[in-house]
Order: sequence, then C-alpha cells, then structure tokens
Amino acid sequence: MGKTPTGNILKQEQSLAYKLLLPTLIVLALVAIYPLGQVIVTSFTNRVFASDQETKFVGFDNYAQLLGVTFKELEPKKDKETGEIIRNEETGEIEYERAIMVLPRTPNRYKELFQFNWFGKRIVVGARDPEFLGAVGNTLVFTFFSVLLETIIGLFLALVVNSNFKAKGLMRTTMLIPWAVITVVSARIWQWMLQPGTAGFFNMIMYRLGLSDGQASFLTNSALQMPTMVMVDVWKTAPYMALLLLAGLQMIPKELYEASEVDGAGKIRQFFQITLPLLRPSLAVALIFRTLDALRVFDVFQVLMSSKMYSMASYNYFQLIQNRAMGLSSAVGMIIFVIIMIFSIIYIRAFGVDQT
Amino acid sequence: MKKVLLTVLLVALLSVALFAEKTITVAAGAVGIELELARQAAAEFEALFPGVKVNVLDTPDMVQDRLGLYLQFFEAQSDRVDVYQVDVIWPGDLAQHFVDLYEYGANDYVPNHFPAIVENNTVDGRLVAIPWFTDAGVLYYRQDLLEKYGFDGPPETWDELEEMAHVVMAGEKKNNPDFWGFVFQGNAYEGLTCDALEWIASNNGGTIVNRDQEITIANQNAAEILEQVAGWIGDICPEGVLAMDEEGARKVWQAGNALFMRNWPYAYALGNADDSAIKGKFDVAVLPHGKGESAATLGGWQLAVSKYSKDPALAAQVAFFMANYDHQKARAMESYNPTIKTLYQDPEVLEAVPFFGSLYDVFTNAVARPSTASAPNYNEVSTLFFKAVHQIISGQSNDALATLEELALDIAAVTGFEPVFE
Amino acid sequence: MRRQTKKKINKVLFWVVVVFVFIYLVFPFYWALNSSFKTENQLMMTPATFVPRDAEGNFAPTFENYKSVLTNPTFMRAILNSTIVGGVTTLIALVIGSFSAFALGKLRFKGKKLFLYLVLSMTMFPQVTVLAGLYAVINTLGISAMLSMILSYMIFTLPFTTWVLTTFFKELPVEIMQSAQVDGATAFQTFYYILMPLTAPAMVTTGLLAFIAAWNEYLFALTFTSIETQARTIPVAISLFTGKIARQEPFGEIMAGAILVTIPIVILVLVFQRRIVAGLTAGAVKG
Repeated sequence: MGKTPTGNILKQEQSLAYKLLLPTLIVLALVAIYPLGQVIVTSFTNRVFASDQETKFVGFDNYAQLLGVTFKELEPKKDKETGEIIRNEETGEIEYERAIMVLPRTPNRYKELFQFNWFGKRIVVGARDPEFLGAVGNTLVFTFFSVLLETIIGLFLALVVNSNFKAKGLMRTTMLIPWAVITVVSARIWQWMLQPGTAGFFNMIMYRLGLSDGQASFLTNSALQMPTMVMVDVWKTAPYMALLLLAGLQMIPKELYEASEVDGAGKIRQFFQITLPLLRPSLAVALIFRTLDALRVFDVFQVLMSSKMYSMASYNYFQLIQNRAMGLSSAVGMIIFVIIMIFSIIYIRAFGVDQT
Repeated sequence: MKKVLLTVLLVALLSVALFAEKTITVAAGAVGIELELARQAAAEFEALFPGVKVNVLDTPDMVQDRLGLYLQFFEAQSDRVDVYQVDVIWPGDLAQHFVDLYEYGANDYVPNHFPAIVENNTVDGRLVAIPWFTDAGVLYYRQDLLEKYGFDGPPETWDELEEMAHVVMAGEKKNNPDFWGFVFQGNAYEGLTCDALEWIASNNGGTIVNRDQEITIANQNAAEILEQVAGWIGDICPEGVLAMDEEGARKVWQAGNALFMRNWPYAYALGNADDSAIKGKFDVAVLPHGKGESAATLGGWQLAVSKYSKDPALAAQVAFFMANYDHQKARAMESYNPTIKTLYQDPEVLEAVPFFGSLYDVFTNAVARPSTASAPNYNEVSTLFFKAVHQIISGQSNDALATLEELALDIAAVTGFEPVFE
Repeated sequence: MRRQTKKKINKVLFWVVVVFVFIYLVFPFYWALNSSFKTENQLMMTPATFVPRDAEGNFAPTFENYKSVLTNPTFMRAILNSTIVGGVTTLIALVIGSFSAFALGKLRFKGKKLFLYLVLSMTMFPQVTVLAGLYAVINTLGISAMLSMILSYMIFTLPFTTWVLTTFFKELPVEIMQSAQVDGATAFQTFYYILMPLTAPAMVTTGLLAFIAAWNEYLFALTFTSIETQARTIPVAISLFTGKIARQEPFGEIMAGAILVTIPIVILVLVFQRRIVAGLTAGAVKG
C-alpha cells in the first residue's frame, strides 16, 4: 500500500478511533473481565458457593445436567389376566403406564418433561432438569409477548407524544411514571393489586361489576400466570421503549414531512414512507436491549412467582443462593448468555445495525 | 480524582480507628423493635467492656436476601462480620463457616435452653450457634364465631377443623363473600414446608428425612393428609391460599375474613392492635392433629460466630451476652419467644404474652425440619418437598402417593440417602 | 359523508386507545398512592376502596406512613446516595460511551464489529451470576461502597450508552462532518460543536434511561453497602423497611417511600427534557 493521502487519513482515523475506544475498554476490562471469566471457568467445575469443598473440573457435566433429554416409548397398560389393553372408561383413550417406570434412574435420573403421540406410539420426553428447560420455555414465551406488546404500546406512545394531539402533554407525563417507580416496589404494587379476595384491586373490580365472585387467584391459576407476568412487565417497560423511539423520532428532520405534505401524502403514507424506515436503527437498538432485558427477567418472577414458575434468571438465582450450586448456576449463566447472543445476532443481522 | 483521594483518606482514618479498639460486628434483623433491642444489648456490652465496640448491622428481613448476603461474606471469607443471626434451618448447611461455641464456654449456657433447638444447632458434636429466639406454628381461631355457631372450643383434629369451617362458612358467607374457613402458608416456598411438615407429622407421616438419613416421605399417611388438604382448596380455603405467605394469610385473617389461621406467634400482638378488626375476638391454640400427635414446626433464629472473625473468643462472648436471660426477657416482652426454659414461668413475661404459658409444650416439643439431617442439601430437599406438596394440594397431581414416591427418588438423587417405600 | 363517518370512527377509536393506555399506565401508580394513605387495617379491608375509608365508610386518610418514611434517616440519606451514584454513573457512561459511539458511528477502523459485539456481550449475563466475581474484584480494589456501585453499574450502563449513541451518531449525515473538516475543524471540534448538539435529544434520553437503570439497581447495591450502611441507596433502604415485629410487612410505608421518590423524578425528567432538549435542538437547527 502506497502512502496515498486517503491511506493517511484512514490511518489517522483509525488511531483516533482506538484512542476513543480506550476508556470504554479500560472500564469494562476492570469490572467485567474477571467476573465473566470466572463464570466461564466455574461453569466447567462442580464448585459449591461459599464452601471449603474441593473444586474439581467436571468438563461439560453441568451442561449435560441442564440440557440432557431422553426419549422413551411408553407401553399401554394391560390387564394382568387377559392381557388386554386398558382404556379409559370415560374417554375410551388408551391408558399408558407411568413415565417413571421407563425413564432411566441411573447413573442420572430423568424426570418427565412432557408426552406426545408419534405414529400411534406414546413417547415420553425425560429431562435431567425439567425445571430449567421449563424456565427456558417460560422465558422465551414471556420475552416474545412482552417485547411485542411493549413495542406496539411504546411506538404508539412515542407517536402521540411526538405529534400535535391534545393528549400529548398528558401522555408525556403519564408514560414516565411506571418507568420511574423503583423496580423492587413495582412488582409489589402489582402483587397487591392481584391479591386473591376483594382486598385486591382486580378481584374487587370484577366483583363489583358482577363478573366473578372476587376470588380469582391470578398468580396460581396456570392459565392466568403468564398473561399476568406479561401485563406487569409491559407496564413497566413500555415507557422505556417509548422514550428510545421518541428520541429516534425527534431526530427525523421535520423538512421531510413538510416536503411529503406538499406532495399530498397522507398521515399513514408518511408513517410507512418516512417514519418507519428512519426509525429503524432506533427500533433495532430498543429491541435489542429490551429483548436482552426480557431474557434476563428476574425481579417480577422472583417477587410474583417465587418457586411456582421460574424464569431463566430466577432459576439461576435459586441454584446459586438456595442450592449454592455455583458450578451449575454458572453454566445456567452461560446458557443464558448463548441464548441472548443468538437473539442479538439475529436482530443485528436483520436490521443491519453493524453495517456502515 | 478528588473523590478517590477523599475515599482513600476516609478508609485510612477508619482503619486507624479500627486498630485503636476492638470492634465486633453483629449482623442482625432490620425489624424495628428487634434492631433496637439488639442495639441496646450491644450498648450494654460496650459499657461492661470498655475498649470494645459492638456494631449492629441491619440485614434485610427477607430471608432469601439475607442468606444471599451472608453467602457473599462467606465466599469472600470476610472478617468484617463477626456474629451472624442465622435461621433455624441454616446451622447444618453453614456449619463450616462457624466456630464451635463449646470451645468458648458454651457449656455454661446450653443447659438453660430448649434441648430440641440445641440439638438442631449441633452439627457433628459442634455447637455452631446459640439459640436466640424461637418460633412454632400455632392455630389462630375466632372465639366469637365458634361460640356463635355453638362450638365450645378450638378443633382438636383436622377433621373437626374442616367440619367447623363448613358450619361457620355456611352462615357467614351469606353476608360476607370474602369469608373463608382456613388460611395458611400455601405458596411454593419454605413456609409451605413448615405447614406441610405439621400436617404430615401430625398424621404419623414422619419428617421427610429421618435422623438415620432415610427418606421416609413416601408413605400412605403423608399422602392421605395431603389429599385431605387438597380437598380444602376452594372448599374451606380460598384458591388464593396457594399464593399466600405469612403476611398474605394474616391479611385475610386480620380483616376478619377467616375462621382459622395457621401462623407463627407474631400475628398475635398485631391482631390485638387497637384498630384491628378482630381485636379481642380470637385466641391461639395447639394445631390440630390427624392420626398422630399434634405437631408444630420449629422456627426461630440463633447467633453464630464466624470462623473468619479476627477475635472469635470476644465475638462468642458478645453472642452469649445477647442471648442471655435478661436480653431474651426483654425480647419476650415484645412477643419474641425465648429459648430459655425458665422464661416461660416468668410472671412479667406471662403477663405481656399470656399464651406463652399455655403453649409451653408447643414450643418445647416443636418439630425441627430435617435441616441438620440433610445438610448441606437442606434447601434443595425442602424446595423439592414444597414443590411436590404444592403440586398435590393445587390439584396438578391427583395421585399423592405417586408424587411422594417420585419426590423420594428426587431427594435420593440430591442427598444420596436411601428412600424407604412402604 | 361516508368518508367523514369513517374519520369520526377512527377518531373515536383513537381516543379509546389513548384512554385505555392512559389508565393502564397510571392506575397502578394511583393504587400505590391510595395505599400509601391507608393504615394496615384499611389495606386489608374487603372489598378494597378507591380512597382510604374507615369502617363506617368515611374518607379517612392516614399520614403515618409518610411521617415514618420522612423521619427515617436511612431513607433520606439514601435519596442523596442514589442521586450521587445515579448521576455519576450516568455522566461517566455518557462521556465515555459517546467517545466510543463517535468512533463506532463515524470513524472507519478495523475490528468495529468485534468491538460492538464485545461491548454488548458484557451485559448478557444475569446479574446474580457475575455478583460473586464482582464482589471479589471490589474487595481486591478495596474501594468504597459508592465507588463500587458506580464502577459495577458500568457493566450495564456503558454498553447501553455506547450502543444507543452509536446508532444516533450513525444517522447523522456525513456531509455535516465533511463540511466541518473542510472548515479545518479537528475531529474533536466536530464531535463537540456539531455532533453533540445535533444528538442532544438522544443524549438526554440515553442519559435518563441509564440513570434510572442505576437508580433502580438492587442486588449489587445490597451486597456492596452491606457493611458501609451509610452508602445505602433507595432500593436497599426500602427493602430494609420493616414492621414493628419480624415478618410484618409495612406495605403502606413501602408505598409512601415509592411515591416520595417517584414524583420528583418525573418532574425532574419533564423539566430536563423540555428545557435542555428544546434549547439544544433549537440552537442546532439555527446553526
């Protein structure tokens, strides 16, 4: 490469860039390298938290423990004398023997995760840690719905506040409130409102309106648990989305709208032709960070669900603090890391965030 | 930059102060009166031993947060806390971080305390914590309502409780749709372990893991009583009981919306507060029983001395001092159950908290959770247990015995103990 | 005619959505406010009331919760601590973050993608996983609780500010920079006089979001301030609210504490947004 002027400018730019990146690198190296390195190393050991027990390397045992699954076929129950297949008296469906009879117990115990029918056969899926796999499932479902809803509501709020509607000022104030309430308290507010019995707001209002007897139990009824969690989380985080999108909206030059108005474009056309494309980068970043946070959701699950239903992070907390299984919980942390990384890469690729 | 300098200066100053006199730091509860009494005791100790400073640190009342905090200290082998207030279920799991108090003269104090708690706090012959105050499950009942419906006393068996609840609910529910027969701690957490242990033990179903480290939970008696409880949900207990902790149950109870409540003694003074809806209308009794004798789960807190303390001998003296007769008496007056036997005959204490006398047997015979037998895996065992119980009583599993058999296998996988099947 | 009715229906529909969202956002806060004026027994009352009422149904608010929160020295001190920790964290994260963001958004260099992923990956672990390691680092450094919090909050604020500001810097037209360079401005001048004012709304928003993240943090703060109790922040102080007796949860006080710290924040944010955003953007457009 010759020393062309452009080459020089490039070099200058490059060295300036590295200088500018240095402070960030130093700070993150100081606070993050050791803890993150420790997590990675510990995840391959059987280390017990706060214990003098000797730590050994166990390879991928922790990962196998968390992710290990097995498939077994279930035999139909047969009458001991006649050898006939027993059917349920009411439904007529074949009854199968208990999963515990076919799932392996040694050297590792597998527990039933779920069952399904496959070409007339009944298959049971066993997992070494069904709780963790359940937590992964819960978290993914939770993340999908809560990020989707908060994006819609957040975008709506941002558009209202950025417009000339009468409700603008009111909305601006309103949307700040949930976000400003301290997180450890906001879950408690909801817990209070969701109380069983008419001391709780939701039961009281349903009772007053004659919709129910006021004894619904939102946190234990398995059909209501997930919608409740999503409702609580969206309340808290839609404003976050709204603020980030609002900043994006404010960066769009007003001239663009004026020009398109001259062209006679309607509000809706403007939205799809100008607003949405120009909002894409802000939307991408907001989505990345919200998804990242949702996948690590902890407080709301810990306060409202305790051990009734785990998220990945609350399961991690449980393993570390209650069971002191530091090796295992580090492996949980690593798996969460990998899942989040996959999501991030998908977003970054889809939105082209890393393109210059 | 200035800030850094300032901090350095401050740390330097502090360390000079530290070397000038001996400081013992006690990690205790944050609760108003509890903390105040601990600080008073600390001040008295300082007055007796000039040159010693006793710091009382308030730690969160949320048990999990407190445990998490302690574990961070132990992991870092921190010498910054000398004395820890520990839950009755922790001595087994945390024994390795505490000194043996017998080496520091605990022999003089131990005979005065309840033997059951001393046994609970003894791990491999080492006394790892001195009992401080105790707790046991009791039955709260509405005297006024039982009288109104013609019952002359609290229920003695679970069947009687069910029957009384049916009768009273049939009458009360007409005017008050929120009225229920019985509330307890039904959320999936440690509190359910306590409640379920009481049901099972009182039906001759054992204590999950016995002292010989056999897993005894998979038995017909245990399954039977859990199925009975499952039948209560939606009948005499609200469905919401499955999400209730101590405070959740007390909220229903103290609003006058429950006939019976299982809870710890703390709810007594609060229920008799001036603006309480049930002031003077209730009393406390021994929990009902099934086939066996009535059982109350042991709760409460102990003081332990950290192995990493710079001066464990002095720290042990502070612990003994704070747990002595006078200080336990001061706490007893505020309805913290003492662990010293003779305090239950002290006239001043009995006047302040009358049921201490009538429930003396409950406190002395309280059933310990199998925390020492299953150490260091108690938390994991308990979690498996309360989750299985929650499944049964919430109706997610309809074969209680099968669920308990699976539970026994799970516990075996965690502890390596032998399960016993009937 | 038909077009007009359609427009009307749209308008009504829009207002229905606005009202619904408004209630959804505000009501839980109202319920907290309502609860903060109730005594323990009013809180337990069935059915729950929209305003504090006594047994006879008369309006009867109590100020006890506020009294005890306002006379709680730990809480008052915590407000100051949280403000300092949140403020300093935000400032550092914004300044350092905007340096990197400028490089990432506007300069050409090798390893950009790697750096972006590297920074982001710092925040991909759940907090509790890194806590033990972080506590060890803090112990080794031997720094004060305040400094520990500020430093450890960089783990989640710095990647955030870096990423958000990068996208905003990237969006700015290259021509502005080129014309500045033609005018002989150094890169720093370009950054300070041109990019900063233009991205002011983004800066303010990013700062606010980072501030609240730091303001809300509980787990790290609880651990780092456990010994140095005078450095406790608001979430820790609120979690240490207790009743008269063990296990009793002072719900009214917790609500009062939450209300007391929420309202000033909201007002502050409103003032901040309006003043600064308006001022800076106006200046930039004119310039």
